[in-house]
Amino acid sequence: MSCRDYLKDQIPCIITHILSMVGFTVFMSAVNIDKDIICILLISWALIVIFYIGICYCFRYRYFKQILLQLDSLDKKYLIAEVMDMPTREDDKIYYNILRTSNKSMIEEVSRSKRERGEYKEYIEQWIHDVKTPIAAMQLVCENNKSDTTRKVMAELEKISHFVDQALYYARSENVEKDYLIKEVVLSDMVHAAIGENKQLLLQNHISVRVENCEYTVYTDEKWIGFILNQLIVNGVKYRSDHPLLIFESCSEQSKVKLLIRDNGIGISASDLPRIFDKGFTGKNGRTGRNSTGIGLYLCKRLCDKLGIGISAHSKQGQGTTIELSFPKGDFVKVWG
Amino acid sequence: MYKIMIIEDDPVIREELSVLLRGSGYSVNIPMNFSNIINDIKNCNPHLILLDINLPVQDGFKICSNIRTFSNVPIIFVTSRDTDMDELNSIMLGGDDFITKPYNTSILLARIASLLKRAYASGQVDLMTYHEITLHLESSKVEYQNNFAELTKNELKILVFLFKNAGKIVPRADLVEYLWDNQLYIDDNALSVNITRLRDKLRQIGVADLIQTKHRQGYMI
Repeated sequence: MSCRDYLKDQIPCIITHILSMVGFTVFMSAVNIDKDIICILLISWALIVIFYIGICYCFRYRYFKQILLQLDSLDKKYLIAEVMDMPTREDDKIYYNILRTSNKSMIEEVSRSKRERGEYKEYIEQWIHDVKTPIAAMQLVCENNKSDTTRKVMAELEKISHFVDQALYYARSENVEKDYLIKEVVLSDMVHAAIGENKQLLLQNHISVRVENCEYTVYTDEKWIGFILNQLIVNGVKYRSDHPLLIFESCSEQSKVKLLIRDNGIGISASDLPRIFDKGFTGKNGRTGRNSTGIGLYLCKRLCDKLGIGISAHSKQGQGTTIELSFPKGDFVKVWG
Repeated sequence: MYKIMIIEDDPVIREELSVLLRGSGYSVNIPMNFSNIINDIKNCNPHLILLDINLPVQDGFKICSNIRTFSNVPIIFVTSRDTDMDELNSIMLGGDDFITKPYNTSILLARIASLLKRAYASGQVDLMTYHEITLHLESSKVEYQNNFAELTKNELKILVFLFKNAGKIVPRADLVEYLWDNQLYIDDNALSVNITRLRDKLRQIGVADLIQTKHRQGYMI
């Protein structure tokens, strides 16, 4: 609170004093009191008023400064009424009570939505697990009755299970830290598993797949990387061109192991490229009717960030896209035992 | 013949899994009643157990730790629960493997085979024979009357699949899928090229017309 603002609030009080002073002067002049005496009285009156306002301002200033400091140090600002001291002034007390009541209802509201959100998330996870059983059943039925028709159904099933996974990982991506298991994994194992999961999709779309030089070991969570690789494969299929090709290769650098997923698809225009990891961004390719949701790569990026893996994209329109995952080389000491 | 027990409460999955496993040469036992599953296991004494986690009466973790009190039979958890806690739990309680639904059947079969091999290692020789033609899996060679020919990975796997299905017509799509399951990603055209080369190699060691082409259906030996 600045001095000027405080004075503004004190205007009625100051006007009252000035009016009283005028009245006082008129009265004193009427009873023939000496002008000098009136002057001295007026000056001391004014000094007392100024002194009083000054002191009051200092107290108020200190009081608000303390509250503001408390507010600043709070992580969740809406809890201020809970930590604030009970004020001594009566009008402050009223504000204090208003603040407390409003905050209390707000805190209730916040925790209610938090609870509802948590419950919804739990429900989604439960639902996803439930829906996986019929998907697995359908897959087995198809597997046991192989024909061209069931192969097509299986390719669609792969898509369904991919979408289901996407929903699951979206729900979970907030707290990756609660659900991960860092293990020593060989890149090629993860790559082969991901290709296996999309076997029908790749075969039906006549995609040539090559896995080259992926025998490096990294320390990471297999499941999350599996999801990311699935997403990248589905993208590769979705944005393919003629004679589609998907190449997985890796190389080792000083501090990291790189996994490159390269396709010869339609590519991404230079203007879209910087934004492909943004949530909801679909770009030019998305607008040409390829069913882009703008969620897949966003999720990949988010998971990579949480797992400490670098992800970047290089692309030339019409020539293809390369996604690069870089796994940091751990400073783990391997213990033989 | 290995006996596999499927403990699973979804009837369709139960049914189809047993079809799949029987088709792969296992005998299958499916308990229908989950209230005294432990007795069933004791009576049946299976070589391997496929265990779901979400089950009526008792969950899979409890069953698993129960089994471990009296038997070391290999247990594969097959479940739709896929958090790392579940995986960790299953390992801690003595499960041997953990596969999440929906699963790739070839992976499931491969894991079953490798677990069985590890648990009941029978001095199995890596040889396959058909009409005096012998496949040496370890050294990737085909032999006929003491004539040898070296095979590439692709050619070896093609022959293995044909040998496994001897006497049946093998559709090209099945063959391609089998190769993909073995991490050999070749397409239809490449398959034709491989078959041609394979026929050449077989001819060189004196085997003519082993692989017949069935028009629009596939191959057969």
